[in-house]
Amino acid sequence: MMEKRSFKWANLYLVFVFLLLYAPIAYLIYYSFNAGGTMNSFTGFTWEHYQAVFEDTRLIRIALDTLKLALSSALAATIIGTFGAIGIYYVKKRRTRNTLLSFNNILLVSPDVIIGASLLILFTMVGFQLGFTSVFLAHIAFSIPIVVLMVLPRLQEMNDSMVTAARDLGANSFQVLSRIILPSITPGILAGYFMAFTYSLDDFAVTFFVTGGGFSTLSVEIYSRARQGVSLEINALSTILFLFALGLVVGYYFIQQGLEKNKRKRTAVKDPTNHEKAVSPR
Amino acid sequence: MAENTIIRFEDVSKRYDEMEVLKSVSFDIERGKFYTLLGPSGCGKTTILNLIAGFTDATNGDILIDGKKVNDVPPNKRKVNTVFQDYALFPHMNVFENIAFGLRIKKMNQKTIEQKVSEALRMMRLEGYANRDISEMSGGQRQRVAIARALVNEPDVLLLDEPLSALDLKLRTEMQYELRELQQRLGITFIFVTHDQEEALAMSDEIFVMKEGEIVQSGTPVDIYDEPINRYVADFIGESNIVEGTMVEDYRVAFGGKVFECVDGGMRPNERVEVVVRPEDLILTSPGRGNLVVKIDTQLFRGVHYEIIGYDEEGNEWMVHSTRRAIVGEQVGLSFEPQDIHVMRFDETEEEFDARIETYTEEGERV
Repeated sequence: MMEKRSFKWANLYLVFVFLLLYAPIAYLIYYSFNAGGTMNSFTGFTWEHYQAVFEDTRLIRIALDTLKLALSSALAATIIGTFGAIGIYYVKKRRTRNTLLSFNNILLVSPDVIIGASLLILFTMVGFQLGFTSVFLAHIAFSIPIVVLMVLPRLQEMNDSMVTAARDLGANSFQVLSRIILPSITPGILAGYFMAFTYSLDDFAVTFFVTGGGFSTLSVEIYSRARQGVSLEINALSTILFLFALGLVVGYYFIQQGLEKNKRKRTAVKDPTNHEKAVSPR
Repeated sequence: MAENTIIRFEDVSKRYDEMEVLKSVSFDIERGKFYTLLGPSGCGKTTILNLIAGFTDATNGDILIDGKKVNDVPPNKRKVNTVFQDYALFPHMNVFENIAFGLRIKKMNQKTIEQKVSEALRMMRLEGYANRDISEMSGGQRQRVAIARALVNEPDVLLLDEPLSALDLKLRTEMQYELRELQQRLGITFIFVTHDQEEALAMSDEIFVMKEGEIVQSGTPVDIYDEPINRYVADFIGESNIVEGTMVEDYRVAFGGKVFECVDGGMRPNERVEVVVRPEDLILTSPGRGNLVVKIDTQLFRGVHYEIIGYDEEGNEWMVHSTRRAIVGEQVGLSFEPQDIHVMRFDETEEEFDARIETYTEEGERV
């Protein structure tokens, strides 16, 4: 009886916390449909703010730029970060390896403002034009440590004697990398890319420092518009972004589920010609 | 170099920092034989395997495969394949792809690969498992996949690093037969590493007994079992009674308070020696008819036989394997034949041992 009661309290607490966390977002979404034009009182339902968002070509361009930036910087960071993780993993001296890993982790925990400011100083010192490229490089820079952190555990889980076995069976270093190491750590690489993508997508501070030349991302744009006075167009835009993020999370969940199901399915199939499909054409 | 030699070690040593794991080892491996490196963990047997495969470099000395020095040849360029202790199968590939790995690296065409892999699957009795995931295979099946994956490359030498240690007893015995049969059928040189003396005795043409980075004794299973060079080998291979004695003269040895006829010789008169008698060579009899009289101390039922421990009047412990029961506390006689006695000198090297045997053994008596 007592147990059941306390269990209910725990549930209530959980609901309360989530309500608290989601209330501002819900409030914001709610008023994105307000015909009144302010967030003081809800006067009627309308789609007009959404219409305004889609008619705002500048905003659309910025949204596409942001997406392009996130996709490309995450890709670059994933490539660099994956090889970085492999590099750190194969450092023989434990001390050196731990030092390298610490340097990686420091970048993760250091405040965005400091990273942004230092990158700004760097870019202006070397006379780099601020714009898409500077933001792109900055995003790669802060995404790499995340990728390293996602990939490294997969490497540590990997059975090292697999690499030895592949060498024994005649594989050179490149073949070991492409056929053994990379396939083994693919889940980590995908997770790393996803994380880098979301980090890039919602970064404000670093971008704010290093952007220029008319280039802007959604976070920076929303910030500057909000400062000029809140228009419900921003609510609409934020709602769209929120739904997009939600879609990403749901999509990621289903991709993971699909991967696992696929694996189970593949083991169940007894079609003798199936192996030909599994053969990678090289 | 003998024409039949496939691998030769010339004074090969290996040290890691301060640790010398291999002390100037030399040996020849002949084509088409089953070799076993036998010794406790840390004796350097896996190091020898790694040196042959090319996973580590020798600190000193030359390693020759097929007459060519291979010290600087990377593992992927050696015609040698390995079956690893943990099998080291690729979990992201199915059974077929695991076995096909080496062939794909060699860029063989799909048809040849399919043919060779299905042949390997048939050889290892794995037909129908081609599309299974590695995670779906049992320990014994994984073992077979690992062997198939190595053998499909048609290596000159197959290295096996304690491949049976993860299997249960019944499966292990089964695999011993199978490996032996496989080796004889294919005619490939097998080098098998183990710490299990039973495995070594059952499968090998030749055993290298190792201790602390050195080969203590090499020979056929029968040679090593019947004529161990010293206490270490006698103790490591099978059960044995080892007592101290004195070599009165050639073919006469004293121990347990009596002088016995034996088949060993070539020692100094009255030299202190160690005498080995295997427990299964001792036969329980009445005190009057036995060569030695012991008092039974303990008895254990081992299934196949009773393991009986007794002490003679000098206090030496004697272990007897007998299918007949003894009575604890009773005095019994132990009878044995002169050829059951094996005499070992203290600190004799393998060369000295072989040379001594040459001098006192008649031509052809010992092969």
